[in-house]
Amino acid sequence: MKIIIATKKKKDGVLKCVCNIWWTFLCVKGYTDVYSKLCLSTSINESLSLCQYMADIISTVEFNHTGELLATGDKGGRVVIFQQEPESKNQPQCRGEYNVYSTFQSHEPEFDYLKSLEIEEKINKIRWLPQKNAAQFLLSTNDKTIKLWKISERDKRPEGYNLKEEDGRYRDPNTVTTLRVPIFRPMDLMVEASPRRVFANAHTYHINSIAVNSDYETYLSADDLRINLWHLEITDRSFNIVDIKPANMEELTEVITAAEFHPNQCNTFVYSSSKGTIRMCDMRASALCDKHAKMFEEPEDPNNRSFFSEIISSISDVKFSHSGRYMMTRDYLSVKIWDLNMETRPVETYQVHEYLRSKLCSLYENDCIFDKFECCWNGNDSVVMTGSYNNFFRMFDRGYRQDVTLEASRENSKPRSVLKPRKVSTGGKRKKDEISVDSLDFNKKILHTAWHPLDNIIAVATTNNLYIFQEKLN
Amino acid sequence: MLGRGVKRKWSCLEEAEVVSEARQLVLGLCLEKLQRYQAGVELSLRRSVLLINTLRQIQEEMRSDGVGSCDVHPDSCLLRDDFREDVTVTCPGCSEGESPPELPSQEANGSDQQKPPAAVSDAVNAMGYLGDLALDDIFEDIDTSMYETSDLPSAWASGSLPQSHSTAGSLQSCLMDLNELDHIMEILVVETHLVGPGLQNGFSL
Repeated sequence: MKIIIATKKKKDGVLKCVCNIWWTFLCVKGYTDVYSKLCLSTSINESLSLCQYMADIISTVEFNHTGELLATGDKGGRVVIFQQEPESKNQPQCRGEYNVYSTFQSHEPEFDYLKSLEIEEKINKIRWLPQKNAAQFLLSTNDKTIKLWKISERDKRPEGYNLKEEDGRYRDPNTVTTLRVPIFRPMDLMVEASPRRVFANAHTYHINSIAVNSDYETYLSADDLRINLWHLEITDRSFNIVDIKPANMEELTEVITAAEFHPNQCNTFVYSSSKGTIRMCDMRASALCDKHAKMFEEPEDPNNRSFFSEIISSISDVKFSHSGRYMMTRDYLSVKIWDLNMETRPVETYQVHEYLRSKLCSLYENDCIFDKFECCWNGNDSVVMTGSYNNFFRMFDRGYRQDVTLEASRENSKPRSVLKPRKVSTGGKRKKDEISVDSLDFNKKILHTAWHPLDNIIAVATTNNLYIFQEKLN
Repeated sequence: MLGRGVKRKWSCLEEAEVVSEARQLVLGLCLEKLQRYQAGVELSLRRSVLLINTLRQIQEEMRSDGVGSCDVHPDSCLLRDDFREDVTVTCPGCSEGESPPELPSQEANGSDQQKPPAAVSDAVNAMGYLGDLALDDIFEDIDTSMYETSDLPSAWASGSLPQSHSTAGSLQSCLMDLNELDHIMEILVVETHLVGPGLQNGFSL
């Protein structure tokens, strides 16, 4: 009886706390048929809007603030921006597809002559600036240099010059007998990208993060040992705000792995470390924020201690929730949600692929244990997502305490085909459609995922392909 | 363990062996990864730090378990500050962060332990932060002949850890390997002092 009541309430679309409790109880069976829209975690009605782009290895994926544009960076230093097409009248249930909007070479390989080392052109991070005028701006960075790019549209061009022919050749002045005023005529849309600022020579070590401040004037860049604060207008100067380099490099035991600004408080930022700690700093406290205001660290579980404990505790990504109240960290095996007011332990922990814990030695051997997975929030902070191996990616619904494993693969690549939840069998008996841990392909890893800021549209990057999935609208 | 005259149950001994074997395996992998590097490409500092920390952790565990030499190697005198005074800075006026390594007066030093084997200097190269710069060039004129014939580093690199079937045999080889490991670790520490102190004399990165 109780179950029926709960179902009815759900159909009305009204969410009440008591329903959540029912949901937890019901989640063992398939409630998906009714609640596909409300609880993505077990929804099998994710329709696929496929946008495939064969590229060099994709190294970063980022939606802009409206979600209309999606930028990817790759190992070859290129940035490709996709734009969402406006909804077509023919298919109102299907949101617009993402098509290529602009492609440009952001970084080139360089050579450090002093160290005799190559500087890779691989784009480590892209961050969009909020739009202020007709043009779009983004920051892209490789290991050493950050660049501010302006992406602008041109759909008109001047015609009717007096001294130039239409093809650009200069006219013989003697042939000019009349004067006319050049006019603008429409042309095919052209999207141009131009570098407006180059922020260089501020990092001795490899840049792993850039983050735009909520003041939209400054941003930070973090490498393994230092974090610098920049002003978007000033390229020849930056302020060092965190420096964890020891006087004696032999004493180095910890590096910075990621850093981010708080979404609302322009004085607050966090940085994570290879030892699994997150430090929150307040720039008002001092010029050099070596002393943290808060340190978030979960005590180690003595039962799980192994040679690899430190390596798997290394945080690969840190992201604030949109609300600014929580932050999420990704270590090798789990995703943790932290309440900024509680430093002693996370408020939520989600196991991404716990079945790998017994395989750590092999993963250490093949270097997979050093893979850096990213994570992301959905627009209203109710769901978090991260990637895994075998082209699997995972979503965790915080409200309903449920999760789902999906796969980005060719088999699911037919338009409007629904993604089927995947399962990795951990016990001895493997059920039908389950995959055993030993047959997982560790070369197929999803390190980069992004969630549209407003809609249920996700971008998932496999090694070479970008998959975009959207929620099925009925 | 056997030599201590302490009676242990069979299961404890077995467990200890398994742990010891696991340690050796991970140890071998650690060193293999540290020595493996691609010329011309800077290694990830994070990776290097994690590898070194794992290596240190294993060493600590081995020491605390009483396996191998738990005494500090006599050449730990190299860790003392007075050693740094012997190092000369040869390139004053280099810009911050880009100072080339100073050439230490190796000839003046009597200890043979300070001469790094070629393969280990390769390992130091791999550990980006311990050897920021190409150390091969610095040590060109140093006589490393007594180390070049040694199979030690290549043995570690090829992962051919001694596989012994008897407990006593494995302990013996374990002890021997740990001595050699200590040796390598000391040499690696020396390397950092050859590069590091100069940086402290006003040319910090």
